[in-house]
Amino acid sequence: MQAHTETTDYRDSNKKAAQLVLWTLIWLATLAAARFGPEFVWDAQQQPVASWVAVAVNVFVGIAWIVAFTRLLRALDDLQRKIMQDALAVTLGVGWVVGFAYFVADAAGLLPQGVNIALFPVLLGVIFVIAFIVGRIRYR
Amino acid sequence: MRNRIADLRAERAWTQADLAQRVGVSRQSINAIETGKFDPSLPVAFRLAKLFDLAIEDVFTDIDR
Repeated sequence: MQAHTETTDYRDSNKKAAQLVLWTLIWLATLAAARFGPEFVWDAQQQPVASWVAVAVNVFVGIAWIVAFTRLLRALDDLQRKIMQDALAVTLGVGWVVGFAYFVADAAGLLPQGVNIALFPVLLGVIFVIAFIVGRIRYR
Repeated sequence: MRNRIADLRAERAWTQADLAQRVGVSRQSINAIETGKFDPSLPVAFRLAKLFDLAIEDVFTDIDR
């Protein structure tokens, strides 16, 4: 019982959410650096090490983001965790279904060349936000 | 699961925010528990019962019984 109550320190969740937002912004900045750095800041052909370092920093910050997200989940109360869990389940389900549909359609040559797989994480982000808001309204 | 939390809270003239703060959960959780949309975990249920100085079965009732 004690172990469970230790993980539901709801009053700490705002601080943890702020930390997650901060890590999200840092991760986005490192992602932008890894994506656009070779194009605009350094020459990817002459300085491949710089590109590797940018990717490595992005992965490292991504791991820190995962840790921050896990800490937020632990700080949420039961209902908030359930809302988050439902939103993540919907996001995973949509990602799974749409992801496989994409590969099947791509293999069959059904997709126009303009479809960019990089939009897939953005789609997942939008799905998560919608599912989260629906959950908040449902238990309002 | 039914519960008497709204009545017990009203007897003490506490708002949902007051109760949420005392139990250590969000106000939204208290509202969802009171309206029966969400059943609390066992630790939260025990904390609620302890706060009202009642046995857990005096606060929560199995709806099938």
